[in-house]
Amino acid sequence: MTRTTEIYFHPFILMEFRLINDGWRDAYENMAIDEAILIGGTPTLRFYKWRPSAISIGYFQSMEEEVNLKECEKQNIDVVRRITGGGAVYHDSNGEITYSFVCPQEMLPKKIMDIYSLICSSLALGLRYLGLNAEHRGINDIVVNGKKISGSAMTRKYGNILQHGTLLLRVDVKKMFSLLKVGKEKISDKEIKNVEERVTSVEKEGGVLDEEEIKRALMGGFEEKMHLRFYEGEITQEEISEAKKLREKYESREWNFKR
Amino acid sequence: MKAENGILRGELKVRGGKLIKCRMKVKNGRIEEIKFSGDFFMYPEEKLEELEEMLINIELKKEKILPIIHHFSENVEMVGADADDIVKVIMKTITN
Repeated sequence: MTRTTEIYFHPFILMEFRLINDGWRDAYENMAIDEAILIGGTPTLRFYKWRPSAISIGYFQSMEEEVNLKECEKQNIDVVRRITGGGAVYHDSNGEITYSFVCPQEMLPKKIMDIYSLICSSLALGLRYLGLNAEHRGINDIVVNGKKISGSAMTRKYGNILQHGTLLLRVDVKKMFSLLKVGKEKISDKEIKNVEERVTSVEKEGGVLDEEEIKRALMGGFEEKMHLRFYEGEITQEEISEAKKLREKYESREWNFKR
Repeated sequence: MKAENGILRGELKVRGGKLIKCRMKVKNGRIEEIKFSGDFFMYPEEKLEELEEMLINIELKKEKILPIIHHFSENVEMVGADADDIVKVIMKTITN
């Protein structure tokens, strides 16, 4: 079968996607599995969580400049560098759902911004099914009533695309700030308030907090917007053994502190 | 500009975009070492390391840096910042 870049616009062709409804894993394993799935390129949507809570930084960020490492150690927070660009994210073990989306490049538009648009607007549509006033804004954000609820990052490698991102269920700005180096000056109450006014969560917006219901709604957004059809699947043995190798990279100081 | 132990630092918040930071060592008017960081996107990602290599030993003058970065940008796709922003952040480390 020859695929064209326009295939996702075709209303009669459904693209089969594997759904991996994953649970908690640690930061290194989560990043290793995302990359292992990216290498294989099986069209996949994975939902997952982080335990222990962790901070992931963008590929181009400096660990020491972005993360308060002492505080992370004190609070048992893992730190990891992603293969995707973008910013530093605090992944609370109970505060968010993370998704990762993988498929071959030719299933998606060529331009990076068009891919962000497509995936983020699918997610926003899913959130609207939950009654949240969500829309895609800027490059890679989803906002509800103008406040950020989700951020995403993408890479294009091995002929495939990986986009992963988070959906905030609950947010503790104070804790987030204690772990990230947000500014050079000490974070004032006023600044915390500022961020609290710009960031929101499903809880704050009064949405349902049933995670399975949220995931179903997000899948619904993809089904409608991108004509995907999901089948329940597992991480394959091949992906597991690839992830095992990749985990060493994600745990290494060389990788995490390369910038 | 901020210099610590001979390291120059610059930061640029791109309007409607992302943050680029630059850390640089200069010797005899030439770039001795340079590193970029930030929350921007560049595809393929590994190209940034190539750019950092390409800039070593280049005279720290806008007219020398500009063509290198523009040529480099033809082979990458950047989101949240562009070639001119890279030039700007380099120049920011020395002008104040």
